[in-house]
Amino acid sequence: MAMYIRVKRHKTTYFVTCDPTDTVLRIKQKLQSLIDEPANRQRLTLVSTDQILENSKTLAEQKVENDAIVALTLKTDDNGEFEDVCIARPEDFSSFS
Amino acid sequence: MEEDTVKLISAEGFEFVIDKKAAMVSQTIRNMFTSPGNFSETRLGEVTFPEISTPILEKICQYFYWHLQFASGKESEFHIEPEITLELMMAANYLHT
Repeated sequence: MAMYIRVKRHKTTYFVTCDPTDTVLRIKQKLQSLIDEPANRQRLTLVSTDQILENSKTLAEQKVENDAIVALTLKTDDNGEFEDVCIARPEDFSSFS
Repeated sequence: MEEDTVKLISAEGFEFVIDKKAAMVSQTIRNMFTSPGNFSETRLGEVTFPEISTPILEKICQYFYWHLQFASGKESEFHIEPEITLELMMAANYLHT
C-alpha cells in the first residue's frame, strides 16, 4: 500500500488506499462500491487548499498526499447541483461536557 | 457495504470506514471478527466504541494504516500530539494495538 487518503462527508470518514499515480476517477470508482453512488455524482475537494479535484488528473499532479483529507460532496437530486461541503466536527456532538 | 471493509463508530457517533486488513492490526478487533458465533459485529462489519472519542478513534485508524505502510518498508514517523497522548494510550491498550 503506497498511501491512503481520508474522504469525509458529514459524520463519516472513508480511509481509501491508493497510489500517487491513481487518477481521481479511479478513486471515485473505489468510493462507488462503498457509498452506492456512481462516480459522476461525486465531487472531491482537497480540504487544505479548497481545490476541486479533476477526474482525469492523478493524485500526485493535484498535490494530494498521504493522509490528505478530501471532502466528498454529492449531486443533489432536485437541480443537479452539488451540495456544499459538510464535514461534521466532534465538538458539536460531545457526549460528555 | 463491501465485504472487506469494516466500520468503527466513536462515542459521538462518527463513523470510520477502513479496510478490514487495517482494522486487524488491533488484536481486540481481530478477535471480534474471527471468533466463532453469530455476533452482530461480525455480521454487520460494524463495531461501536462508546468509550473512544472521535479524534482518538481517527488517530487509531491512521495508526493502523501507518503500521501497514511501515510493515511494507516505508520509513516515516507517526506523529502524536502531546495533548492526546494519555487518552490515545488508554484506547491503544484496550484495543491491544
